[in-house]
Amino acid sequence: MAARPRTLTGVAGGSALLAAVALAACASRGPVPPGLPGEVAVSGSEAGGGSPSSPSAPPPGAAPSRQFHLGPAANALVTQARTQAGGGEYAAAGATLERALRIEPDNPLLWVELGRVQMGEGNAGQADAMGRKALALATGDPTAQASAWRLIADSLHARGRTAEALEAEQRAAGLAPQ
Amino acid sequence: MAAVAGAAYVLYLDLLVIHQFEGRRWTLPAQVFAAPLELYAGLPLSESEVGHELERLHYRKVAQLDRPGTYRVNGARIDVALRPARFADESRDAQLLSISAGSQGIEALKDAAGHEVPVIRLEPLLIGSIFPSHGEDRIVLTPREVPPLLPAALKAVEDRRFDSHRGVDPQAILRALWVDARARQIEQGGSTLTQQLVRSYFLSTRQTLGRKIREAIMAIALDARFTKDDLMNAYINEIFLGQDGNRAIHGFGLASQFYFGKPLSELDLSEIALLVAVVRGPSYYDPRRHADRVLARRNLVLKELADQHVVGAPEAAAAARRPLGVTPRPAGAYYPAYLDFVRRTLRRDYRDQDLTEAGLSIYTSLDPRAQDAAERALDSELARLDRMKKRGSEAQALQGAVVVTAPQSGDVIAIVGGRDVGYDGFDRALDARRAMGSMVKPFVYLAALESGRYSAATIVQDEPVDLKLAGGQHWRPENFAHDTNGPVPVARALAESLNLATVGVGLDIGLPKVAETLQRFGLDRTPQQVPAMLLGAVDVTPLEAAQLYNGLANGGFRNPLRAVRAVIGTDGKALKAFQLQVTQVATPEAVYQLDRLLTLVMNRGTGRPARPLLPADLVVAGKTGTSSDFRDSWFAGFSGSNLTVVWVGYDDDAPTGLTGSAGALPVWARIMASLGGSSWNAPMPDGLVEMEIEYATGLRVLPGCSDDRVTVAVPAATQVAPKAGCGFPDSGNPVTTFIDRTQRWLHALVH
Repeated sequence: MAARPRTLTGVAGGSALLAAVALAACASRGPVPPGLPGEVAVSGSEAGGGSPSSPSAPPPGAAPSRQFHLGPAANALVTQARTQAGGGEYAAAGATLERALRIEPDNPLLWVELGRVQMGEGNAGQADAMGRKALALATGDPTAQASAWRLIADSLHARGRTAEALEAEQRAAGLAPQ
Repeated sequence: MAAVAGAAYVLYLDLLVIHQFEGRRWTLPAQVFAAPLELYAGLPLSESEVGHELERLHYRKVAQLDRPGTYRVNGARIDVALRPARFADESRDAQLLSISAGSQGIEALKDAAGHEVPVIRLEPLLIGSIFPSHGEDRIVLTPREVPPLLPAALKAVEDRRFDSHRGVDPQAILRALWVDARARQIEQGGSTLTQQLVRSYFLSTRQTLGRKIREAIMAIALDARFTKDDLMNAYINEIFLGQDGNRAIHGFGLASQFYFGKPLSELDLSEIALLVAVVRGPSYYDPRRHADRVLARRNLVLKELADQHVVGAPEAAAAARRPLGVTPRPAGAYYPAYLDFVRRTLRRDYRDQDLTEAGLSIYTSLDPRAQDAAERALDSELARLDRMKKRGSEAQALQGAVVVTAPQSGDVIAIVGGRDVGYDGFDRALDARRAMGSMVKPFVYLAALESGRYSAATIVQDEPVDLKLAGGQHWRPENFAHDTNGPVPVARALAESLNLATVGVGLDIGLPKVAETLQRFGLDRTPQQVPAMLLGAVDVTPLEAAQLYNGLANGGFRNPLRAVRAVIGTDGKALKAFQLQVTQVATPEAVYQLDRLLTLVMNRGTGRPARPLLPADLVVAGKTGTSSDFRDSWFAGFSGSNLTVVWVGYDDDAPTGLTGSAGALPVWARIMASLGGSSWNAPMPDGLVEMEIEYATGLRVLPGCSDDRVTVAVPAATQVAPKAGCGFPDSGNPVTTFIDRTQRWLHALVH
């Protein structure tokens, strides 16, 4: 792999990473049920977002609120990936995050994390797509949505799409102040 | 003159054999590995399932952990001596691991010091190798990886004077000649290990006198140039030890995997003696075919080892009492269809020679548990369908193919290419390109939802279609039941796979738009834009169908389906990584609305027969496909964890008489039931709302005013006419007037 001129946080601006760190820090739970290991429904329906079997329909425009966490396994892998990315080993960091994603494929925090590594590798297009993937999964969690928008904003900045980037930043700020 | 010619001949043979010896040592077929099993607290794997996974990797259950490759069960705790392992991204030394499992699965993992281990992988299962066309497959071992007992046993049984002779052993030859003279046939007994090595290099089995002389000269030449240790190591890596279809098993490293499924270093005395017994004639002494014969010869080998004091007599006697211990099926050759996909992926980047000679390690996404589930389900369901059919004229057996993915990562975790999974032949999952049938309909409706002019509750007309085609012909498609249903909501049209309604929607949206939708989701060519396309006149392979549906299962994100994660060179460095990639190809809103409709297919429509086969609380979404005249029976569907595509049909394209519901669906349901996994549970995007409508009419209803309700997701602004008498709270106000107007309009439209 060629030498990378930029560090992970150098491009990312660090804010979303910090948000993810804060979330990761609150992950300290016991055995988790299969399926949604990192998701905790704080309020709203038990299924946390319109399961077809769920009898109660949420009111229009008000998705049930919830907050994503990382389970212990994914948390350990994210920590490892950050060390790898910090040393410029983006491919290794990506592989480590893919391990985490196989354990918690629906966790938007992991998609943001992987998007950050893509930014570090200079792959802004993929970072954008991963930000949007995170956004689709983060419905109901303003903090996670904000992290996703910040990633998208950074990827837009990196591609010179400043107006769209500013718009994305505003969305992030509206969801969760930094 | 004759002397010069003779010397030249000897020199020629010398060069030939030296060249062969030096060149051969580095020809290593690529080894292919399955995805490693990640262990972590919360993984729903019981104690017995953990044991099963260890057995799959041929860990041995013991009372006391003594060496890597063993495990011990201690109540609900399993202690494992993990082998050293190499993964795509790192290597790990041998280590101890304690796994505590309860009713919910794994509860805790601890290392030897008692520290919590958050996540750890078992080593990846070797699933095969990519060997050259001449069929030689091998795993090459360094002398350090060979237990000392093996060379000692080989010398004792095959070549007692190996350490002292010069490549040939006159004493052994004389003895063999004497035996031959009496038996009036040539036996191999007189050959040294060096001579056997020469014979193996030149693939000559005919035993003429000329060849014997040639072989002897070459053996002497080799012996003069190389040390005994080099020759012994070459022998251990070179010699032929079994046949598996067109794959020739060479070397003790691979033979150990092939017969016992574990590394040579873990073999015990009885197992090493068995391999030494097989050397004499891998076909005659095939342990899977001629167990009695092999047992007798193995015990003869053990006796010989005791007689020559290589091992103690009591040890040999104990080993002779052990069963053969050979695995029922050859390890490393289970998954030909999957390996086929791996090979094709790699041929884009690598020459054949790189794959068959360069000693690459290839790490794949194959999940052996999912693969086994898919193979079993296809086999048992096709057998049942064959028995059920028995229509006399149909002499041929039904065939089928399965592709299973993890939608979010695009990992292909299982591929079945046909019923006879051990047969490395026609791979239907990759090569059978068949009409999609109704499996195309979700893409018609997705295009409709994306247009903003349609929702799940939109009333569409299921009425006769008569289209004049370009050639002057008429196209008059029919519904499966040859009926018409008049006005129906989109939800019902898709759930019941109504052809006429779908053609109406598709023509309204436009063929180019539908074709473009398919291409966005990964179809790599432009489908022929004829109206029949709307009913599935689009040919795809099961793998291509999986690519298309993966985007639906992944919320409108396309990822290239991948079997290979990384290719690692002999130095442990990654040569190529196939990273996870996603591309958004549809809005989450449109895909969410569609996916909700696909859950109705399972609860109300053509997917309903799967319900009794699935866990009651597992939410799944999917679609049947039946091509014209029942030639192809398809089902594609997903949970939150897996997408599975199943095709069932005949190889010669003859009609099967099976719909997608009757043929492919039960296979699919059995696979999904064994995979377990989580429900489809995508979060509903902001801006959509759930709404209850009457399934038959599409009218908005409240609980209690209709017993035919279904829940759909629609954009928040969607106006849906309420069912009269449902007591909607707004009755009497202007909204009702609007709704009444709508109802009158609808009524006029319908009649």
